[in-house]
Amino acid sequence: MSTINIQITTGDPRPIFKQIVDGIRMQIADGSLVEGAKLPSVRGLAMQLTINPNTVAKAYGELTAQGLLESRQGLGLFVSEHRQQLSEQEQESRLQKAINAFVNEVAYLDYTQAEIIKETTAALQKITKKGN
Amino acid sequence: MCSEFCIETHDLVKTFGDKTAINHLTLAIPNNGIHAIVGSNGAGKSTLFRLLLGVDTPNSGSIKVYGESATNLSPTTRAKVAYVNEEHTLPTWMKINALLKMQKHFYPKWSDTIYNNVIGFFDVDPNQKIAGLSRGERAGVNLAMVLAQQASTLILDEPTLGLDVVAKQSFLEALLFAERESESTIIYCSHQMEEIERVAENLIILEKGQLTNSSTPEAFVERIKSVMVEAEHLGLSASSLKAEVFEKLPGFINTKSIDESYQLTFVDRTLEQITADLNARSINISFAQNVSLNQAVNAFLSKHHSRPSQAKHTPA
Repeated sequence: MSTINIQITTGDPRPIFKQIVDGIRMQIADGSLVEGAKLPSVRGLAMQLTINPNTVAKAYGELTAQGLLESRQGLGLFVSEHRQQLSEQEQESRLQKAINAFVNEVAYLDYTQAEIIKETTAALQKITKKGN
Repeated sequence: MCSEFCIETHDLVKTFGDKTAINHLTLAIPNNGIHAIVGSNGAGKSTLFRLLLGVDTPNSGSIKVYGESATNLSPTTRAKVAYVNEEHTLPTWMKINALLKMQKHFYPKWSDTIYNNVIGFFDVDPNQKIAGLSRGERAGVNLAMVLAQQASTLILDEPTLGLDVVAKQSFLEALLFAERESESTIIYCSHQMEEIERVAENLIILEKGQLTNSSTPEAFVERIKSVMVEAEHLGLSASSLKAEVFEKLPGFINTKSIDESYQLTFVDRTLEQITADLNARSINISFAQNVSLNQAVNAFLSKHHSRPSQAKHTPA
């Protein structure tokens, strides 16, 4: 079984259930929770974090609904295979948001447009190679 | 008796002399789950508990426990409810051993395992007299005994007050699993938001004997919105801008002056509504802030909270 490394912060504007969802999603994204890894039981994680087990159950429910976790009958919860969960529209809006942030950051630097495009293309090629 | 709600009050009133402790309170607490009752000092929390237990009689209205009137509970229903008072009152002249023996005799579902799991975190000897225990130790004995009863409903009045960090943690764990594993309903009052955020599924807020919230803590936080406005946007210096400008806004709770800005807090208004209300008075919002549970409860309760009158503040 994989251990979950989340710190719950009380007094945070995000409710605890959201903190768990975000924490697990991040661990899946950065590879510390790999595909097929088994998650701690509801009781176990509630005990680890000293929070209401129903809150853990709710977070697990949300992650399952998002397709990041899957339950196997009688065995528990596992990290599911990677599939695209976002709608085309949502993907487009996230891409736009990321581009806007990027453009904002580089706008005041002394690079020409051609130079920026060249660097960006190179960076993108690196992750595509990794992905294949 | 099967009832969807373990506790139901309808138009409940309880007064002590001129003071109204419970003011036409209508409340329903469903079975199962951990319900936190929050309110300022004197909001009526302990009075509500006393009425629930039938120790006090209401002036008017009804109060039911598992469908039975709390003023006339049958022994079977009464046995379903366990209660811990704030003071952890226990017979001081008894030894822990003797008290345990007596308690076990009263409760058919008594669990030694639960008792030992909780009491194990306290350095108490079974031969010690209750009178010789510290406040925290007495709390430990009392809470261990209450959890061991495995009652259907647990009513706890500020249970963790006076517990050290380790004891508090172990008590909270015991509480969490009592709820989940023996399907108890836990009704507990506390001033510790950090604790409530971790354990409570339902947040009940009492103000001056009236119910002002009953929802999940998340839904409650959603009710509260906080925005910052800058005094210079108003063409006014901060000192010339009086709180009265804001006080007439719908849903306004409070304002805090921070340097040249104001933080305004509202209840039950959407950000769009607040923006529109402020824009109508030529005030622009610099940004909206997310609030934590602690901040939300604090702002909410501050509206009706007693405070020294203005006159006392100004030096003569």
